[in-house]
Amino acid sequence: MASATTGATLTPQTAVPAAASTRRGGAAPHLLAALRPLGRLLLTTATVLFLASVITFALGAFSKSNPAATVLGETATEQDIATMNHQFGLDRPLVPRYFTWLGDALHGDLGKSWFTTVPVSDSIKQALPVDLSIALLALVLAILLGTGAGVAAALRAGGFVDRAVTVVCSVVATLPPFVIGIALIVLLAVKARLLPAGGYVALDVDPVQWLRFSILPALALSIEVAANIARQLRTSLVGALRENYAIGAEMRGFSRRRVLFGHVLRNAISPTLAVIGMAIPLIIGGAVMTEKLFNLPGIAQLALQSAQRGDVPVVLGTLLVTAVIVLIGSLVVNALQLMLNPAARRAGTLTGGAR
Amino acid sequence: MTTARNLLRIPVARVALAVLAVVLLLAVVGGMLAPYDPLKQYPQTLAGPSAHHWLGTDYVGRDVLSRLMAGTRLSVIGALEAVAVGLALGVPAGLASVWMGRLGEWVSLRVTDTLMMLPFTVFAIAVAGTLGNGLHQAMIAVGVLTSPGFFRITRAVALGLRTTHYVEAAELMGASRWWTLRTHIWSKVLPNVAVAAAHAMGSALLVVASLAFLGLGIIPPTPTWGGMLSSDLGFLEQQAWAPIFPGLLLVFTVGSLNILADCIREAASGEARRRRGGVLRRAAGRRDHTPIGIPVTPVGVVPTDEEEQRRVVAA
Repeated sequence: MASATTGATLTPQTAVPAAASTRRGGAAPHLLAALRPLGRLLLTTATVLFLASVITFALGAFSKSNPAATVLGETATEQDIATMNHQFGLDRPLVPRYFTWLGDALHGDLGKSWFTTVPVSDSIKQALPVDLSIALLALVLAILLGTGAGVAAALRAGGFVDRAVTVVCSVVATLPPFVIGIALIVLLAVKARLLPAGGYVALDVDPVQWLRFSILPALALSIEVAANIARQLRTSLVGALRENYAIGAEMRGFSRRRVLFGHVLRNAISPTLAVIGMAIPLIIGGAVMTEKLFNLPGIAQLALQSAQRGDVPVVLGTLLVTAVIVLIGSLVVNALQLMLNPAARRAGTLTGGAR
Repeated sequence: MTTARNLLRIPVARVALAVLAVVLLLAVVGGMLAPYDPLKQYPQTLAGPSAHHWLGTDYVGRDVLSRLMAGTRLSVIGALEAVAVGLALGVPAGLASVWMGRLGEWVSLRVTDTLMMLPFTVFAIAVAGTLGNGLHQAMIAVGVLTSPGFFRITRAVALGLRTTHYVEAAELMGASRWWTLRTHIWSKVLPNVAVAAAHAMGSALLVVASLAFLGLGIIPPTPTWGGMLSSDLGFLEQQAWAPIFPGLLLVFTVGSLNILADCIREAASGEARRRRGGVLRRAAGRRDHTPIGIPVTPVGVVPTDEEEQRRVVAA
């Protein structure tokens, strides 16, 4: 028992430092105080976007592949290479090239494929809805499954459900994600024949068919994130249930359920939101795996195929677009955190603080 | 060194270390110990376990046991390379960021944000597409994306220590930066980095497996755990049990690394006698907020470091 109480006091979730609250001062208007973290968030986001574009461009600049060699192969002459390089603007110095590339990218022009000369943005526009719809579904599933499991585990810490959740989370954490996807295919598509094992129908063509095709990939994507959410939520809930206010509420005769949902959950949700924020790159990165597994015509398939051909503009375009999507996702999560938790308003770091 | 002694006192840690020692042995001499040539194809394909082939043969008749033993090397080397790159980039930068001044701090934190935001697989694909498809390129890419975890943990610990009284006292009395770093800070940073490295190693093994599944980094006939797993999964109808062997090896290795990380954390914070949860909870690792599973809460440091960090960032 003694160790339990020290454990609770050792992990304060949100300590409010006196210095931080006085720093903003009483004289500052309320509106300004509310806008400042938002402004900081936007500045951070813009910087990160800039850095991501530099990294992306640098990959292309350091690349040894050039359009003539990749398209024409061994037969390319010096002159062919020079012509092609000039055609794609590769003979100009790096800095102006970067700014042209960035300016075009901001206008939605990511260049043309070296092979097909199809604009990269057109290929991405075709592939993106597949990923976005499935990733969103996966996120919803992950939050539902993770919250359910986490709350159920915390409701009776040490009980059967808690143990079961721990076992599942441990196994999931030590397996590569594609194995989970394949296990789902074998169980639900091959053995039970409930769902199709691969293929895709666009959402705006037939929503019911879309759901039938995308529920399995979304489930495969969501399992790992759901396990992360469940584990974090369980930890913070169990920690918060040992805090004085929770024990006090329970002593006053509120049921454990009421204390959990009415009092504790709100406080425990903030670290979980950070986990969800970090889950966005996980889901987008995992999409590569699921797209290959379920044969979906998504952005990762596009990237993979272009990478195998050495089609640099398409590869760079997909990386940049992916980065932007993740950035938007974490911006939303950060804004949510700012709204939900006054203490987080002081922490302006992009990735949900280091908490 | 008390940390190492405390660590050996935890029974689970000894088991984890034993498992890892076996894996390391396989990585070094596995190819030599293997009973058959891992690339040689025998006539009986998809055979079950027998006296000749203890774990059976795969879809073109290669000996599974030999492939597992020979494949350990590339899997482990790949993961080690990624972690080494992450350490080399993250730890010095994290230490330096504490003394870099406001602008340097802000910039380094934004670089960290950017790297943490890029998804591993997409970045690895982009690197393979631009810089060439090889194990080194893929692993350096993974290592670069791992470095923010090391950066953040190092920085958090160093930042917390820098405001402690004894470090301030040492600085006031004229101790040089190097001296303070070596005497006071390094010994506290090291266990945290060890915890993070063990976690990152586990995650890197999974990333290597995933990349092998995508055909990145490792060219197919060469055996790796991930590659075997993905090729076995294509023949589930005939050989449903085949993925179990590479799968188990992977689960045991990654689980052991997570257990080791948890035990180092426990040993370093001097609570070796207090049990906090079973083996499974340890094995799950505490990859709380970071994608590759480096927990950002430092051990054995004054708890105000986060607030301190925030104040610095916000100022």
